[in-house]
Amino acid sequence: MKRRDFIKAAAAAGVAALTFDQLQAAVTKNQMKVEAAPDMVAVMGGEPAQLLERALQEMGGIEKYVKKGQSVVIKPNIGWDKKPEFGANTNPELVEALIKQCFKAGAKKVSIFDHTCDNWQKCYASSGIEAVAKAAGATVLPGNDESYYKEVAIPQGLKLKSAKIHQALLDADVWFNVPVLKNHGGARMSVAMKNYMGIVWDREYFHSNDLQQCIADSCTWAKKPALNIVDAYRCIHKNGPQGRSISDTAVLKTLIVSKDIVAVDTAAIGLFNQIETMDINSVGHIANGEKLKLGTQNLNQLNIKRIKL
Amino acid sequence: MKISILKLIRVILAVLIFSPIFLFLCDFAGILPDSFSNLLRIQVVPAILGGSLLSIIFLTELTLLFGRIYCSVICPLGIFQDLISWFTGRGKKKNKKRRWYKYAKPLTILRYSLLCICILFLFFRITTPLLYLDPYSNFGRMAVNIFRPVIMEGNNLLNWIALKFHINNFYYITIHTVTGWSLAIAATILLVVVIMALLRGRLYCNTICPVGSLLGLISRLSLFKIVLDDSKCTSCGLCEHACKSQCINSKGKQVDQSRCVACFNCLDRCKAHGIGFRFAWARLFQPAVKKENKVLEITKRTNEIGMTRRSFLVTSTALAATLPVFPAWAKSEKESDPTKLTPITPPGSQSLEHFKLHCTACHLCITHCPQQVLKPAGFNFGIDYAFKPHLSFYEMAYCNYECTICSEVCPNGAMHKLTKEEKKVTQMGIAQFVKDRCIVVTEGTSCGACSEHCPTQAVRMEPYIDSLTLPHVHSELCIGCGGCESICPARPIKAINVLANEVHQTAQKPPEEKPEDEHKDINFGF
Repeated sequence: MKRRDFIKAAAAAGVAALTFDQLQAAVTKNQMKVEAAPDMVAVMGGEPAQLLERALQEMGGIEKYVKKGQSVVIKPNIGWDKKPEFGANTNPELVEALIKQCFKAGAKKVSIFDHTCDNWQKCYASSGIEAVAKAAGATVLPGNDESYYKEVAIPQGLKLKSAKIHQALLDADVWFNVPVLKNHGGARMSVAMKNYMGIVWDREYFHSNDLQQCIADSCTWAKKPALNIVDAYRCIHKNGPQGRSISDTAVLKTLIVSKDIVAVDTAAIGLFNQIETMDINSVGHIANGEKLKLGTQNLNQLNIKRIKL
Repeated sequence: MKISILKLIRVILAVLIFSPIFLFLCDFAGILPDSFSNLLRIQVVPAILGGSLLSIIFLTELTLLFGRIYCSVICPLGIFQDLISWFTGRGKKKNKKRRWYKYAKPLTILRYSLLCICILFLFFRITTPLLYLDPYSNFGRMAVNIFRPVIMEGNNLLNWIALKFHINNFYYITIHTVTGWSLAIAATILLVVVIMALLRGRLYCNTICPVGSLLGLISRLSLFKIVLDDSKCTSCGLCEHACKSQCINSKGKQVDQSRCVACFNCLDRCKAHGIGFRFAWARLFQPAVKKENKVLEITKRTNEIGMTRRSFLVTSTALAATLPVFPAWAKSEKESDPTKLTPITPPGSQSLEHFKLHCTACHLCITHCPQQVLKPAGFNFGIDYAFKPHLSFYEMAYCNYECTICSEVCPNGAMHKLTKEEKKVTQMGIAQFVKDRCIVVTEGTSCGACSEHCPTQAVRMEPYIDSLTLPHVHSELCIGCGGCESICPARPIKAINVLANEVHQTAQKPPEEKPEDEHKDINFGF
């Protein structure tokens, strides 16, 4: 046997052995990672933390999205001075669970902010998010002043060519878009794409320059969220985004997670339609987002896992 | 150097009362409890306008007992002047002669004319002159419009530094509530007070301040007074040099009780124990003068008192004659947007009339409004509304649905304290929607920002063309919080504006319904 052949053979055997080891490990641990992760996971019928844990597990585990030593930003919807039971803001238990997951994955820092509509201190307090976030060790950042926002270019935007975006997001290694599913008087629906309005300062521009296009444009910003995690535990199905009374809120106990922001919004509206009719074509920003190649409305193309706990 | 115990008590009390008042007026972050506003309810003008009988009795008794203690211990503007004198060392013994105070005659006519003006106008239900002269309100405006911005900018600087060290305990805040007019009036008063204090001690309090003049009338009768002991006094003038009220006439061995603010600076100066704070009620009737001078002095005294009374009558008659002119003068010129002609008065103010009568523009509510929606007016709503706070809606600034802070802190009773439930149905105005200006109509694009911000869903989006929706105002639910107006993107004039209710009304309560049961039978739907 020539020396070269020996080396080749030895290398091949080594690789095979290594691969076999991995395969064996995968078989024994009963988990096939990475390649098998679905495009979207929807989990129904549990408490927010349970829903999140299962969804992340299906999506390949939090470690796939948060690496050791990274700084993470979680962007929930904290727009309104409303208590959690109204469902006007992202569920605090969900936010808390996500913070814990991030730290578990070795995140150096987890920050939370929103550009609120009502007074920011009241929103942070009433939503319950500030309290749980602080208790879980996250940094709660204000978003109340223009000085926190820096101008960035949105080259793919049709109407919105640039926007002032919160410094925390510019500095972050990873971010999660964590909206709440709800009806919305102006944009018709508020899900993951609409949640982008809370990362920018100059929202008035959106309203006066074709809201549905500006929402889609803002989502083309180069730094995409690691995941869109749609909270549909409670859902304001009419008189959104604040709801007129508690009767406007339905309890769905659902969570939808995907990297594809158009798909996750499409799916969420599918869920929503079971309580209240909503024509997805009237939610203009979703179609606009698809035109900007942000994702697909055709859910049949995707590998979706639907789980009932 | 020995310091008189009375002076020590006075200084300690003054510091104890002044510091919280100052901090409360500048507390933009709402850190201090609202109970601090009780210190403002014992200020003379707020007590009178707020109809706080207890405070009035307390202040009258205090003055009847010990003289104008109020001016030295409770009034923030008075203490502020003392601080200026103290920093600049006026009246101190070790300083040069030109920095000593000297006895000066009272400016009786000016003094009582100003007091008369304030009282007379109050009878005609106009607070405007009082607004400009009241020491508490003046100090409030100075603190809120000059010192508070300095503190806020200091906070921003601190936050900037803290963020460099990754400390997130502070936050940036942009000041929206200091206007050109409010800054101008505050700066003017600051300048006037500082100059007067530097030149003539408590000249402001004894000439311009209507509270000082009023208390001066009472303190003539007070039980305890600063008295010169005829037998021991050598007329050396040491006490006179320390008197910032310039009311000790050491040559004539007389103290003008109406101007003495009971600061006790004079007490420790006398080497001959010739001056004291004593029970001296009887002195009113037996002036301590040498026999040969007695007749002369008494005539002089009667003349002074006579002049006071006469000037009071003359000025009041003259003023009464000019009064009818005032309201006509107070009307302002017209503005383009009809909703901007009448000010929207804060929640709890009940009506424009009530608010105008009670508010003296101390701007305390402006500091404490977490939304920065309360702004001082200029002259656009008339002279009689100048500097008073009104609701001004701009982006992010509208009246929070559950917030009642302004009504809780107001010491003047210009706003009555509201509960959250009352606040939620207090209708300060009603939103007026003008379809032709709305983005949905002019641009054909979605908006709904107004409805989104409406806490009562008085502004509701209803089907328009295609998938577009257009706002509709259900006035019976509207509380005039301005959420809709603040966010409306239409320009130059917004498409939805709140028209003030001159008399606040009660809005309908949004219907409360039971929460729906959990949707058990639902599926994923996609």
